[in-house]
Amino acid sequence: MPVALVQYAQKAMNSIANSLRREARRLAADPWDLAMVTWVPLLGVALLWWIFSAGLPRHLAVGVVDDDHSSLSRQLVRMLDATPGVQITQHFTNAAEAERALRAVDVYAVVSIPRDFARTVKEGRAVQVTLLHNAQMSTHSGLLQRDVRTAVGTLSAGIEMAARNKRGESAQAVHVSMEPIHTQMVALFNVSSNYEQFLGAALIPALLHILAMTAGAWTVGRELRDRTLGEWLGAGGWVRTAGALAGKLALPWVSLTLVGLLALVGITWGRGWHPPGNLWWVAAALALLMAVSITAGAALAGITRSLRTALSGAGFFAAPAFAFSGVAFPLAGMPGSARAWAEAMPFTHYIRLQIEQLQMGAPVATSVSTVVALILATAVLLLLGATALTLAHKRPDTWGGR
Amino acid sequence: MNTTTPPVPVATPSQQGLLGAWLHALATVVRDKGVLLLLVGAPVLYGFFYPWFYADEVLTRVPVAVVDLDHTSLSRQITRFADADPRIEVHLVTGSEREAQEALWRGEIEGYAVIPAGLKRSVVRGENAVVSIEANGAYALLNKAVQYGFAEAVGTVSAGVEIRKLQASGQSAPQARASRAPVQLQMVALFNPTEGYGSFVVPAVALLILQQTLLMGAAMLTGTWVESGQHRARATTWLGRLLALCTLGWASGLFYFGWIFVLHDYPRGGNPLGALALLACYIPAIAALGALLGLWFGNRERALQVLLFTTLPIAFVAGFSWPVEALPEPMQWLRWLLPSTSGVQASLRLNQLGAPLSAALPYLCALVAIGAVCAGAVLALARPSSPDARQ
Repeated sequence: MPVALVQYAQKAMNSIANSLRREARRLAADPWDLAMVTWVPLLGVALLWWIFSAGLPRHLAVGVVDDDHSSLSRQLVRMLDATPGVQITQHFTNAAEAERALRAVDVYAVVSIPRDFARTVKEGRAVQVTLLHNAQMSTHSGLLQRDVRTAVGTLSAGIEMAARNKRGESAQAVHVSMEPIHTQMVALFNVSSNYEQFLGAALIPALLHILAMTAGAWTVGRELRDRTLGEWLGAGGWVRTAGALAGKLALPWVSLTLVGLLALVGITWGRGWHPPGNLWWVAAALALLMAVSITAGAALAGITRSLRTALSGAGFFAAPAFAFSGVAFPLAGMPGSARAWAEAMPFTHYIRLQIEQLQMGAPVATSVSTVVALILATAVLLLLGATALTLAHKRPDTWGGR
Repeated sequence: MNTTTPPVPVATPSQQGLLGAWLHALATVVRDKGVLLLLVGAPVLYGFFYPWFYADEVLTRVPVAVVDLDHTSLSRQITRFADADPRIEVHLVTGSEREAQEALWRGEIEGYAVIPAGLKRSVVRGENAVVSIEANGAYALLNKAVQYGFAEAVGTVSAGVEIRKLQASGQSAPQARASRAPVQLQMVALFNPTEGYGSFVVPAVALLILQQTLLMGAAMLTGTWVESGQHRARATTWLGRLLALCTLGWASGLFYFGWIFVLHDYPRGGNPLGALALLACYIPAIAALGALLGLWFGNRERALQVLLFTTLPIAFVAGFSWPVEALPEPMQWLRWLLPSTSGVQASLRLNQLGAPLSAALPYLCALVAIGAVCAGAVLALARPSSPDARQ
């Protein structure tokens, strides 16, 4: 019995080594294939980092309709313009002009100051300033709503403070009685203002997830397309096939994981950002995400026996993974069935773990189940892929599908 | 799925007009399952798949906790008001901030408010009292819902307290309200009045879906032609082929603009003729670029391998989800080389905002330029090599 086991292990080790050597030769001979697991991912990661390197959008174009032309209305416009997120680019004389500019997206929002603005305030009555914002551009309008609200609030508080001081209340008493209960907003894990850390860090693994699934589908699918499955798997049999599959996927896995780790270290320590959580834990999870993605692509190729179909499938699963991962739009806001889909995708779980560690500083214990699930998923997909390839190996007539 | 022979297109007749070439190319596409899936199957599938996740549009009842260290009628009032706010739902009232923090890590709540001990006493004595709202800043939309939800609840309670104080000092109720906030801000959401997430993201992503599926389909078809040497063809043949790709692309475009937008009730129909003009320019630019890429790849499956991952960076330079003002300067120029950049911007103006055609004209011109340059390059690179093929 132990002798048989040793033989099995030897057979598997041999096929792993042979397959790995064969894959290395294949990659060395094909600059396209080599590029897609080395410098193209590196370039893609660098591109994403570059897109978000500015961190925070500034100077979003805003127009003004000032029907008052008073020193107070001019003060409000100056205060708006002084907000880093806002740039007053145009003054409109009427609402129709402002609407045209909004429709053409010359400005993202218009602040409208009514006639008798200053006089109404002086008389001690409330006056309303209107912000018309282009809600079809949600990111822009969200940032502008926050900034304009702050600027108008500051002006309003200043006016009230001055009025009360005039009535003889002390500054301290005014401060308290104006707002008996203050709210202090704390964005825990304060990252919402830094998009390089927030979006950049979440998109880089999403990009590598697509590339890894593509690489897995490609490297196995090519053997089927080129009818070289027999040459690759040799005599066949499940053990030898499983070994050959593991050996084949090893190189692209190592290469893509290295790119991912390089990006992870670059975007954190490299930018002087020391996340509160455990970076080693994230690194391990990233390596597992790459493993599960590559084996999923390989299993798709084995099951469909077609390089083209496997790639289409990889695109279908991996390309929208980020959009449905809960980062941009929360899982809690999705209908139940859609949420079930989102939670079946490995990227959804990986990114939750990454955010917990990089931003929230959660204990590692909260995401042990994620790591176990990623390992299990990789193992299951590897078994599935090996079984599908063993079956495919017996049917040379089904090779060569395009 | 398991065809044993590669789909070799039927040999091109040497003499045929534009109409013949168009029909011939269409027939080739119909017989090629892989290309057909990309040009017809994928756009239809994504038209239903993508909006599915955002069907509820607006985030409501985000689970939160209240850490109540005060235990007074005022703190309970704040909790009640918070629970009544449509944005948030109080799942947990606890006396320990640690417990709230752990619930946050486990993902059971998305934020919490801390009501300090002695809040009511401070308010009664006219001392400073602060409720701190701690939301998960790692998730932008959840953060916003939690902060605004609690701020509204606390603000309402606070205003009630202050107005009562001002009234006690002899002001009338409206007077009291005015002197509390002399300048008020009214915010009006234009074009997407409910500020729905799906309404914002899907109409823009639709243009990306149109581009990526047609780009991959065109490159795959051209790559297949290169493998069998059929890419070398007369200008008429190539124009017919491009026209065939455009025909299917236009059909997908009309499917999105005319049906998917209506089906999901997204902002639409602002300038229907303008939207048609956009499709007339957008689709040919993509088809020609796809054919050019296919000539370069020279391989049927390479198009998928190389283009699949590009969707992600392309989406973030198109200028809808990520403001262009925050892009690095060279990227602000480079992004115009992609048809999707102009396509998304023009579609936003014409479909969602109802702008006149003149507002989208620069984008349409950019698309025509991309289409002309790419089509010219395709015709030049794929012209017949031997003189007998040129007869």
